[in-house]
Amino acid sequence: MQLSNRLIKWLISGPPLVFLLIFFVAPSLIMIVTSFRLPGEFGGLVPLNIFAERSGIDSGLTLETYQFFLSDWIYLEIFLKSFVIATLTTIICIAMAYPLALLIANSPRKFRNLMIMLVVLPFASNFLIRVYAWMIILGPESTLSHVINHILGVLDFEPITLLFSPFAVLIGMVYVHLPFMILPLYTNLEKHDPILLDAAQDLGANRWQRFWSVTWPLSLPGIFSGSALVFIPVLGMFAIPDILGGTGDIMIGNLIKDQFLGTRDWPFGSTLSIMLTIAVLGVTVFFTWLARSVMRSP
Amino acid sequence: MLGLLIRYLALVLAAWLSGCSGMDSMTSDKTDTRILQLFNWNNYIAPETIQHFEKTCNCQVKQDYFSDNEEMLAKLAAGATGYDLIVPTGNALHTLIQQQALSPLDKTQLPNLKNIESAYLNTRFDPANQFSVPYAYTLTLLGYNRNKIQELGLPTNTWALIFEPEYLQKIKHRVTVLDSPRELMAAALLYLGYSANDQDETHWNQAKALIIRAKPYWAAFSNTSYIRELAIGDLWVVQGYSNDLFQAALDAHKTGRSFAIDYTIPKQGAVMSLDSMVIHRSGQHPDLAHQFINFMMDGKNSAELTNLIGSGNPNRAATPFIRPELTRHPVIFPDPSTLSHLEMLTDLNHKQRRTLSRIWTEIKLR
Amino acid sequence: MRRSSPLLRLIAMLVYAFLYIPLCIVVVFSFNDSKLNAEWVGFTLYWYQTLWNDHEMLLAVRNSLFIACCASLSATILGTMAGLAIHRYRLKVLPILAFTPLAMPEILLGVSLLLFYLQVLNLTLGLISIILAHTTFCIGFVAIIVRARLQGMDESIFEAARDLGATPWQAFYHVTLPLIKPAIIAGALMSFTLSIDDFVITFFTKGIGEPILPIQIYTMIKVAVTPEINAISTLLMLLTLTLITLANRFGSSMLRDPSH
Repeated sequence: MQLSNRLIKWLISGPPLVFLLIFFVAPSLIMIVTSFRLPGEFGGLVPLNIFAERSGIDSGLTLETYQFFLSDWIYLEIFLKSFVIATLTTIICIAMAYPLALLIANSPRKFRNLMIMLVVLPFASNFLIRVYAWMIILGPESTLSHVINHILGVLDFEPITLLFSPFAVLIGMVYVHLPFMILPLYTNLEKHDPILLDAAQDLGANRWQRFWSVTWPLSLPGIFSGSALVFIPVLGMFAIPDILGGTGDIMIGNLIKDQFLGTRDWPFGSTLSIMLTIAVLGVTVFFTWLARSVMRSP
Repeated sequence: MLGLLIRYLALVLAAWLSGCSGMDSMTSDKTDTRILQLFNWNNYIAPETIQHFEKTCNCQVKQDYFSDNEEMLAKLAAGATGYDLIVPTGNALHTLIQQQALSPLDKTQLPNLKNIESAYLNTRFDPANQFSVPYAYTLTLLGYNRNKIQELGLPTNTWALIFEPEYLQKIKHRVTVLDSPRELMAAALLYLGYSANDQDETHWNQAKALIIRAKPYWAAFSNTSYIRELAIGDLWVVQGYSNDLFQAALDAHKTGRSFAIDYTIPKQGAVMSLDSMVIHRSGQHPDLAHQFINFMMDGKNSAELTNLIGSGNPNRAATPFIRPELTRHPVIFPDPSTLSHLEMLTDLNHKQRRTLSRIWTEIKLR
Repeated sequence: MRRSSPLLRLIAMLVYAFLYIPLCIVVVFSFNDSKLNAEWVGFTLYWYQTLWNDHEMLLAVRNSLFIACCASLSATILGTMAGLAIHRYRLKVLPILAFTPLAMPEILLGVSLLLFYLQVLNLTLGLISIILAHTTFCIGFVAIIVRARLQGMDESIFEAARDLGATPWQAFYHVTLPLIKPAIIAGALMSFTLSIDDFVITFFTKGIGEPILPIQIYTMIKVAVTPEINAISTLLMLLTLTLITLANRFGSSMLRDPSH
């Protein structure tokens, strides 16, 4: 019995472990080493020859890139800015996803799969074309812009531009990441036992009280995992600030992309990515701790 | 659940196979023909040109696309192989040569080389054209909504239009500039009276200050979406590439807009990007690649690209085949005096690249 | 099932509208007789006709669908295992390995995988290399959602099944699997959409000569957006819809057999 349990443990955790060791850990090690190297004179090639002996006197390893990163506040500022945008996106996503996920979870079983599919279906179309659709909606001559500016005009405000603004970036981010909040929330809400709600009702709790004392606390794991799936990818996103953003909307994702596909500074790109990963892991650890303490004290 | 999985798998396989059989009917008789593998910009060769070449060489042309020189360089730098022919821009060409990624051309197989205008040969990137043959070029220009600019009485022949607040305040949030540190800095440096390739850091800082001063008036940094936005009238002034602006002007005309799109070379000068054909070392068919290069230097074939996208053409023999409204256009075919105002961007070393990237980050953040 | 309040219904409908308004624009403009798509000009099937004759693009659609199906399948299986293992055994290493790819910028993942394929594995790039790459970053998504489903669930049912003499496989198949089924479906759907949309990792891990949809679209948009892309998007949604419906229908008819 003891042996078979151990066997099962390895049977379940072995395949993903091995797969990730090969296809994630090994490549990542290459990039970690890269961050300690110098960029080549003609682009990425020199730092890539990790496996070839480097001719010359120096070892080719350096802390210069990290010094460059740490010697400047500007990069930290971009990190902070990206975290603010990611936080806002996550909060808006929770606010929009929760009602929908709750409605789907409370629907008759036969409709649930259909409703979930309706959430995912728009995302089978191409990402860029969806973002371009928002350009059409938010453009300066669009109906929405005219309506909003008309209202602002009546109220005696300056007209605003919707497209090419932080507002447009936020809309794009929410739009693209919303399913990643809806799906985990739905899978969580769907398993709630209606008996608990009935019990609360019998105890005289009204709709809101039932929600706050039963549904909400039970749904926290769903919210936490959904938040992880929204918050983290937003940080690495570069296409949306590129397309919908204005002149000041730069995020950490743009900066990293620029190091690989612009400046040809792979070591700095790796350094930035490692810093980002560490920051994200830090935030995750913090939230896991928070989640544990919240869920322990109902 | 298991059943679902099996069914799903079967479905995928079925879809795959049905797709295969459909596709095979088109390609099956070509299994033993040779394949010329291009690594090219999308829409950078006319489909009829490819068909024509496939007929003459009895081979098949396949293309992979990149949307930026740097994407192509990064993929090759990591070791991707198998491309016969690549179409890089000047400074990327320089990089490829320095990386020894290219194989030298055999000029005896390229009799049509005589068609190329001498002004486009022997560039500083490849002094004796040992590795490259000019393909087409684009200029980085000012594009604008002619009616709107006339109405506002703004000048169009100077970079001041996108840098001077006195002009910019009339077109606030209707301007975009390129999302490229090199191109934007080049425009700023030219406006300040320096060379587009100036590498003096104090000059760079002056350019940075100029850009940061103008930035609040711009709507965005845009590399692609400006084409459409200009053509539908949402934008009034853009810094853009000549073939994109050609596209925008054509689109605006074809869809019957009430305004026209025009583009000019500013008097301070502009950047020219010359794209070349090169043969990658890892290619399987250098002979086919030579044949293709020679084919593309034929006047008629070369003209087809210009007619399609309005790119500049370095080929003398192509002129008779190009639509006259294009040959008359001073931007697509600049005269020698204009040509002396145009500069090709050189590559920077890694320290300079890091400095420029730092400046660019600051520009974006401020 | 419980009755939902009208307010909840209203908000949910608004969220659906938010999801579908841009989509309507995509679909409607695929029938628009104007290349610029600035306003409605007239109905045409021209873009579908163009698409139909664009063999390269159709090949790209097929390749991408195939990659998305395979990647979502393998990611769902591995991710479900990872989620189960993390939940049940309080592992230390696996969660870090499964969740860190989410925090990795995709460009880093793309470049490092390419280096790894070419310089370590000496693998010929092709559809397989893309599928492996997509699987890598999708595992975490599936694992998170499966684990969230399991959290707070009563493990004693599983133990009870074991005590009643069920083999571990039987206990898993008849107890655990039905419980986490919604999470598995959600994870598969997420992986599918992630895979079919990914440009950066695909660009770096693709082999030569195989057109892949996001690359075709991305490089095409660099030149100009044409409604042909709207037409592809519309068709892709229809295809996905058919695929899911078919899988669902066949699957549910198969599922009934063991339970009855």
